[in-house]
Amino acid sequence: MALDFGILWQDGNLPLLLQGLWVTIRMTFLALILSCFIGLVIGLGSMSKVKWISGISATYLAWFRGTPLLVQLMLLYYGLAISLHIDFSASVAGVLGLGMYSGAYVSEIVRGAIQSIDRGQMEAGRSLGLSHWQTMFKVILPQAIRRMLPPLANEFIALTKNSSLLSVITVAELMRAANTIVADNYKYFEIYLTIAIFYFVVNFVISTLIKILERKLNVEGVRS
Amino acid sequence: MIEITNLDKYYGSHHVLKGINLSIQKGEVVVIIGPSGSGKSTLLRCMNYLEPIQSGQIMIENEPIGMIEHNGKQREMPQKNLNKMREKVGMVFQNFNLFPHLSVRDNITLSPLTLGKMNKNTANKTAYSLLAKVGLADRATAFPDQLSGGQKQRVAIARALAMKPHVMLFDEPTSALDPELIGEVLDAMKELAKEGMTMIVVTHEMGFAKEMADRVVVMDQGQIIEAGTPGVIFTNPAQERTKVFLHKVLTHS
Ligand SMILES: Nc1ncnc2c1ncn2[C@@H]1O[C@H](COP(=O)(O)OP(=O)(O)OP(=O)(O)O)[C@@H](O)[C@H]1O
Ligand SMILES: [Mg+2]
Repeated sequence: MALDFGILWQDGNLPLLLQGLWVTIRMTFLALILSCFIGLVIGLGSMSKVKWISGISATYLAWFRGTPLLVQLMLLYYGLAISLHIDFSASVAGVLGLGMYSGAYVSEIVRGAIQSIDRGQMEAGRSLGLSHWQTMFKVILPQAIRRMLPPLANEFIALTKNSSLLSVITVAELMRAANTIVADNYKYFEIYLTIAIFYFVVNFVISTLIKILERKLNVEGVRS
Repeated sequence: MIEITNLDKYYGSHHVLKGINLSIQKGEVVVIIGPSGSGKSTLLRCMNYLEPIQSGQIMIENEPIGMIEHNGKQREMPQKNLNKMREKVGMVFQNFNLFPHLSVRDNITLSPLTLGKMNKNTANKTAYSLLAKVGLADRATAFPDQLSGGQKQRVAIARALAMKPHVMLFDEPTSALDPELIGEVLDAMKELAKEGMTMIVVTHEMGFAKEMADRVVVMDQGQIIEAGTPGVIFTNPAQERTKVFLHKVLTHS
């Protein structure tokens, strides 16, 4: 087998891949922010005593966790455009699709972390005259966030990998860039190995950043 | 200042408090004793409505807490009013429940600052003077996990006092402590009692009850079976069940 990584330096292949990588990073980052926001809202909602709020949250979770991401992306990009004339650009559909899907998983992380905080914390806050939400945001969440970090790292890594599915809805991200190149030169191994390394590096950076954040939060005070 | 009438509390079908009537005067120190499971904690937790009640009424300074009359029906009061009522009632828990992510000082100032009761400067000053009062002036910047149990509980007392409560509830404040640390917490409580704070204390520390209580209330199986001065309860209780209970605690400690 003759491997020819020189191919990267031909036909502008490397710049094309780097461009794709940049799109992947951007989309993943935006989707990640969206998924945190959705995760917080749905996670808090799932614990609500108000029936319709917890009902909506449970339905959201069941739907987005129970159907394939690829199908969700197709529905969002092609389905809505063709049958309901809701026409998102590929990137918007991509960020929404990834963010909503991942948000379901983040909501479970949020709920789990909040429920792992001792009940006495809420009671102490309430006994001091704080409202439920004041206690939630000042007492419970700051402690819960520390416990969310390790599972969030996993979720963000999964999100990065799942972003490769955006290639099927025409987003010019890393996977699609690679597909375009190999369609021309058939250098499957070289090109896919290259993007595999790119994905790996991105995920390595994510997990390192989260580890640093974990350590920083611990140094700032909490060992519980 | 606290008026409890015909209070009933259920956990599901389990009748935990059965027609409790209790009236507490301003400045009074009331110690509640009784066997495990008799409902002491539950009664205390009803007084700041950490536990909802099923019937009866709890008035604090002539205002109801938790349930109010609305068009002739009993219903839960709006959260805003409930939070306001809770500011009057400080609570100290068996397990301290300090906020582990905040320094000692921030534990104390969190509530006054969040509720806009004080500006930052006043809140910090208040925190330092309360810490001095409980003998922890030098631990303001420590975090809870750097404190001993006795120190934690004293911080918890300071934290509750920062809201300037009119009454303080203590639920077995020394039960989670090593024996040698109990004294320092009891001392802080005695100090508070001497200043005229209205206090309701669930405890197994009979020494504290004898020394500080204006009244000892004995509970058993969800009811108040008797109440009286420590002198009467400890030397000449009317109820056989009180005698049995006291005999058990006093021979074990
Ligand atoms: N959250 C709860 N859910 C169901 N039952 C409860 C709950 N909390 C307490 N109980 C029950 O209510 C009764 C009274 O409990 P409570 O904690 O008030 O007793 P206590 O007098 O404080 O006892 P101890 O001295 O052990 O603290 C007990 O039978 C207990 O099992
Ligand atoms: Mg108890």
